[in-house]
Amino acid sequence: MNDSTVSVDSSSGNRTEAPPKPGAKKRNLPGMPDPDAEVIALSPKTLLATNRFVCEICSKGFQRDQNLQLHRRGHNLPWKLKQRSGKEIKKRVYVCPEPSCVHHDPTRALGDLTGIKKHYCRKHGEKKWKCDKCSKKYAVQSDWKAHLKICGTREYKCDCGTLFSRRDSFITHRAFCDALAQESTKVQGVAATPCADEDPKVDVLAPTAPQQPQPPAPAPPPPPPPPPPAALQAPAQTRVSTDVTASVLPVQTPDLLESTSPNPTITPIFEETLPLVNLTTSCSSGGSSGSSSNGSSSSKVFASLFASSTSTASLQSQTTGFTDLFRAISHPDHVPSIAQPSSSEPVSLCLAMNQGSSIFGTAGQERRQYAPAPQPAMSATALLQKAAQMGATASNASLLRGLGIVSSSTPHTGSQEWSGQLIDPDGASLTAGLGLGLACDGSSGLKELMLGAPSVFGPKHPTLDLLGLGVAANGGSSGGLSVLMTSINGGLDVTGSAPPFYGGEYGDEDIGRRS
Amino acid sequence: MKAELQAGNSSSVSLQNPNLFPTSQSSISGALQGCLSSIDGACIERLLLHCANALERNDVTLAQQVMWVLNNVASSTGDPNQRLASYFLKPLILKASRVYPASINVNDSSGGDESFQRRPMSVTELARYVDLIPWYRFGFCASNGAILKAIQGFSRVHVLDFSITHCMQWPTLIDELSKLNEGVPTLRISVLSWRPRVPPSLNAPVQEVGQRLSNFAKFKDVPFEFNVIELTGLPHDQSSSDHLHYDLLIRLLMNDLSTLKIRDDEALVVNCQNWLRYIPDDRKMGNSSEIPSCRDCFLDMIKSINPCIVTVVDEDCDIGASSGLSSRITTCFNYLWIPFDALETFLPKHSLQRIEYESDFGQKIENFIGFEGVKRIEIFESTSKLSQRMVNNGFSSVAFCEDTIKEIKLLLDEHASGWGMKKDGDMLLLTWKGHNSVYASAWVPQRLTELEPWENSMLH
Repeated sequence: MNDSTVSVDSSSGNRTEAPPKPGAKKRNLPGMPDPDAEVIALSPKTLLATNRFVCEICSKGFQRDQNLQLHRRGHNLPWKLKQRSGKEIKKRVYVCPEPSCVHHDPTRALGDLTGIKKHYCRKHGEKKWKCDKCSKKYAVQSDWKAHLKICGTREYKCDCGTLFSRRDSFITHRAFCDALAQESTKVQGVAATPCADEDPKVDVLAPTAPQQPQPPAPAPPPPPPPPPPAALQAPAQTRVSTDVTASVLPVQTPDLLESTSPNPTITPIFEETLPLVNLTTSCSSGGSSGSSSNGSSSSKVFASLFASSTSTASLQSQTTGFTDLFRAISHPDHVPSIAQPSSSEPVSLCLAMNQGSSIFGTAGQERRQYAPAPQPAMSATALLQKAAQMGATASNASLLRGLGIVSSSTPHTGSQEWSGQLIDPDGASLTAGLGLGLACDGSSGLKELMLGAPSVFGPKHPTLDLLGLGVAANGGSSGGLSVLMTSINGGLDVTGSAPPFYGGEYGDEDIGRRS
Repeated sequence: MKAELQAGNSSSVSLQNPNLFPTSQSSISGALQGCLSSIDGACIERLLLHCANALERNDVTLAQQVMWVLNNVASSTGDPNQRLASYFLKPLILKASRVYPASINVNDSSGGDESFQRRPMSVTELARYVDLIPWYRFGFCASNGAILKAIQGFSRVHVLDFSITHCMQWPTLIDELSKLNEGVPTLRISVLSWRPRVPPSLNAPVQEVGQRLSNFAKFKDVPFEFNVIELTGLPHDQSSSDHLHYDLLIRLLMNDLSTLKIRDDEALVVNCQNWLRYIPDDRKMGNSSEIPSCRDCFLDMIKSINPCIVTVVDEDCDIGASSGLSSRITTCFNYLWIPFDALETFLPKHSLQRIEYESDFGQKIENFIGFEGVKRIEIFESTSKLSQRMVNNGFSSVAFCEDTIKEIKLLLDEHASGWGMKKDGDMLLLTWKGHNSVYASAWVPQRLTELEPWENSMLH
């Protein structure tokens, strides 16, 4: 907006047609328009419309008439660019259509079209733009973009090079930072600028003059980006674990790289939260067949336990599971093998990582409103089936062993660990699941669930006993699995005749598979 | 089909006895009813409860089955519900293993360190950790605000710090003290040599923390002293119950105040930050009357040393010590979704920071769900119960001043927009999407003159 006196400068007036000259504008105070200006009242629809100029041929929308005209040339349509008129252009001001708004009053109109549009959006519009880092919402896209640039912007800088956006986190860090510990003499410096708080002036190790937030030529800060003593237990790939240079709001914004802060350690931090994703995706294929060296997800362990024999390496991973998964996670140099859907395992049950969307909903319901985990291979029904089938394909591996609960150094064999209730693991054991619970009337409910879901039993393994138990033989637990098994068997026979379950003889290959 | 199966070999359990077999309510179908198309938070909770029920009935087979399903749903890098599920699954498996203890060599003596090797943090890592979400900083901010107000006019301040966050609260207090116009008081902070074996864990001894604080205070020109109260006589056996520690602590503090070097000219501040919930709360019947619990004894002892302010910050979770497994699962699931949800809003799925933070809550879950009796080291208390307890023990509440509240609001503005704050009487509550998470409160000993005569006589 040019000088408030009526000006012959043609760049005044309708700014949508004149490119703004950088630095050439002098703005009126907002809401104090030129009394001679023409007042324009646009409707909300017009204000919110982004592409008001539409090509009649292809319906492509443009924000500016000029752009539309240029586009029309492509259709060989007559086009006309408005020329800058030489005569004095009447200044225009715009009022807000919202009656309750202060800018509804012509005496408080705003001076340019873009301004009124933004105002309307910000004040009266829906906040559609959200910052991913801090969840702040904006109605105007440019506001949002501007925020993104400064979100997580550091204002406080420690001697070690770390930047902080909040004073309390800066103070807390500073108190424990090595850079402080290394100072021998301290000159009390109260923060004069918001940018560099209390940086002592005298310190041979300090990389820069304290007042400059982005020191020009940095000696890299003392002990390579001062890892706290004995702290970085993560080995070589320190980029995942250097903490000092990470901001308090653990986000890596593009501007972190753009900032002139030369601290070389900041750069790798940019990747801190990202590369894990990349690394894991890159190694997922490696991890999908059998165990990765760094531990497989527990679900893969399950899958491997109960997989058909096509999954050859799986049984080796019996002691992986929670232990290794967590260990893998805790050691950043190991790539945590995040469960990925494994197409090589027919019974793979890994669920893909889900982009859960949290919805700010009514009290008590938020946590239930995540997008349900995508079920690439398994619906709940399918899981139910598989749960029942577990026995059909299980090896001697015990469920709990597979989960890594047992101390990983001592492999357990089959069912022998269970005392007192042992049944010969190789042929005769049968859990409660098979052949039992048939009288249970509750099976009908399950049948309903299982209707129309035939499954083929996998290759036979001698024992069905998940815990190596044979527990049911003595009348212990029975319950749901038995009912489940029953109904599945009842509904699943491929040839139409239900394969009979014979207690203790399930291992017989001839039984149970009629096809 | 029934007929066929009944005709089968009966080397296993008699098929003819239907009474052995529970009804469909116990079956996994019940767990998955309504979940057929998707497995969401409600479904996961239901599965967990089913598993718990199965374990309580010793129906290990069903428990296995549900655990198997859960295991396929759970993921420590999935959405918050999946992540929560993964942390709930572990203690359930632990419990299952105890149903048949002979078979499983589970080292369950510690509070949950056996499988996930979460590495301890350095001091600077911890400094960043406590600011990841407002979970801790909220309490620090509120407490320091109350403390600053209470110590006005005193030239010496002594803080008795009972907390689990390794003195992360104090740099900001030191900083505030350094700016006092009316003169900078001398600050003395006393901590115990022992703390509950819970996260967050630090790889440095408390003396080193104190040294750094001293350096900082010196840098800020705040006269400072750091004391570590040694709880001597503790058995070195790791498996000893924490009860022992608290008994020792209370006895130590009550009988040996000279250890604390309490001075009359000092403003004495007692800071209980995420502390009270670790003090056992079982009341036993003595010869003639109820023996007060450790927790009440502790508060009584605190009162007896006449502090000028007692700050109590803790987690607002409403579950008592004697709750059954199912209710613990429900309460815990409905409470700890908060940090998981909050972390989801701004940290990517594979963020190491996030995973570490969540695993610390996972340790909580593991202990809370997986252990009973003295081994369960956290006994939560709701705000109303805590208030009642404080009053019963002779304290009255103090409101937080407007400046403190403003500062907290500014703090929350810096974090994701789901964080909020509300007041509950004199207490402040940190909320996430409207749900209570952490509360902060301040108390002073009831002055004798405030009490009715009959109340007075009850106290002594």
